[in-house]
Amino acid sequence: MSKGWDTNLLLSEKKTLRSFFLLYILFTITLLSILGTIYYNFQKDLMLQKNRLELSYLANEQILKLKSLHVNFSKLRTYPRSTKFKSAIYDSSKKEIFSTFTNKNIEFDEIIYMQNDKIYLIKEPESYYLGTKYLVLEIQSNPKWLGAVYNTLLVYGIIIFLLMVVFGYFLLRLLLKPMREAIELLDRFIKDTTHELNTPVNAIMANIEMIDTSKLDEKLAKKIKRIDIGARTVSNLYQDLTYLTLAHKIISFNENIELKDLIEERIEYFALFCDSKKLTVSFTCRHKSSLHVDRKKLTKLVDNLFSNAIKYNKIKGSIKITLGQNYFEIYDSGRGIKKEKVEEMFQRYARADESVGGFGIGLSIVKMIAKEYSLHVEINSQEKEWTKVRVSW
Amino acid sequence: MVKLILIICLNVGLSAGIYTHNCVGCHKKMPVKIDKFFYRYLLKYSSEENLKSALVSYLKNPTKEKTILQEGLLNRFGIKEKTVLNDENLKKAVDEYWQIYKIFGKLE
Repeated sequence: MSKGWDTNLLLSEKKTLRSFFLLYILFTITLLSILGTIYYNFQKDLMLQKNRLELSYLANEQILKLKSLHVNFSKLRTYPRSTKFKSAIYDSSKKEIFSTFTNKNIEFDEIIYMQNDKIYLIKEPESYYLGTKYLVLEIQSNPKWLGAVYNTLLVYGIIIFLLMVVFGYFLLRLLLKPMREAIELLDRFIKDTTHELNTPVNAIMANIEMIDTSKLDEKLAKKIKRIDIGARTVSNLYQDLTYLTLAHKIISFNENIELKDLIEERIEYFALFCDSKKLTVSFTCRHKSSLHVDRKKLTKLVDNLFSNAIKYNKIKGSIKITLGQNYFEIYDSGRGIKKEKVEEMFQRYARADESVGGFGIGLSIVKMIAKEYSLHVEINSQEKEWTKVRVSW
Repeated sequence: MVKLILIICLNVGLSAGIYTHNCVGCHKKMPVKIDKFFYRYLLKYSSEENLKSALVSYLKNPTKEKTILQEGLLNRFGIKEKTVLNDENLKKAVDEYWQIYKIFGKLE
């Protein structure tokens, strides 16, 4: 038996695991994004505060020049410019008086801010020289600063993310421990039971085959028949359990199988079971089909579907098997499956009806085999009326 | 079309007349030129709307509290008399005053 999760975990548990992991990753990314944004804003504020002092000094110089221009406006008309910055002046209604830069979206409520790699400082002179209520200075931000912040964010982001993934892995293992133990216990139990079943079942079946029922009286022959059915049921169960626990070790010997022949053979094999429940079995071959598969595996698939059709059928019910060009389907007039339970039917240990014996592994095996040969299995059912399983390719 | 142009020219000519006859005339007699008053208003009121509104308010009802005159000039010339212009003409005169001395479009 493999200790790997593939064979030990059920579909629903895998789904839960995936959801948990996805949620965990999403949570980690959200947390990192928030931390990253806080760090970026903190660094940006720090950088802006460093620039604020120098920009304020430059703004004061510019205000002095505006004052001088205001006094001498009748003689001078040249707006004061500097190589260190670009600037603009606005009146109290935020109407541009003059500007040496192109950006028209100024955030007048801020004191210093960054926009498109540029830093803006807003200064209000004590008097409105030339009508200036707002003096705006623009300088190019240092690209090295942004690069350094991104590098830090990337390095620390990756480290924290990896740490969180490792932490998540251990957390997951901790959460899964009881679940894994329960599954392992069940698998081990099945394996042990299987092993113990092998020898007695073979002995019973071999001895029954050796008995010539024609020489026995009717009453005894009937009893032997019942023993035969019982032994075959146990044998089927044994084979299913063996397949389930050793599936990954079974090597496929693929060959062309005529489905018509195989289905007829299986109908004959299950004849005794059908008789015991007084079922009528009909087989319609609409089209001869063959599949390139392993004979034992395909037999197992058909057997499981057939035995389900018998097991869950009512006394004097019917089974209709149809073979088409690229499908075959098994219909039974049994108790049907609830709509919401149909999806769960392929999971190991899932059973539609607890009142009937079994481990609930049949359809799980069907699914495994179907997956190996890319066969599509579809269940349609009407509760308390009928069930139809269609295998197509 | 010719009539329309004539009417517009006449209107412009008339409003120019209001400012020149009613404002410039008196201010010429003062040692401080009329443009200096504009820049003082600008220094205090910044925007076109605020400046015009303050100027109209002062001209209609001149008071010590509203004046932008410096102490020395105030003592020498005192508060001016109320304007004799009606609201429409006062607005026209103030508009022209703004147009002549505004900063917009004059900086290089």
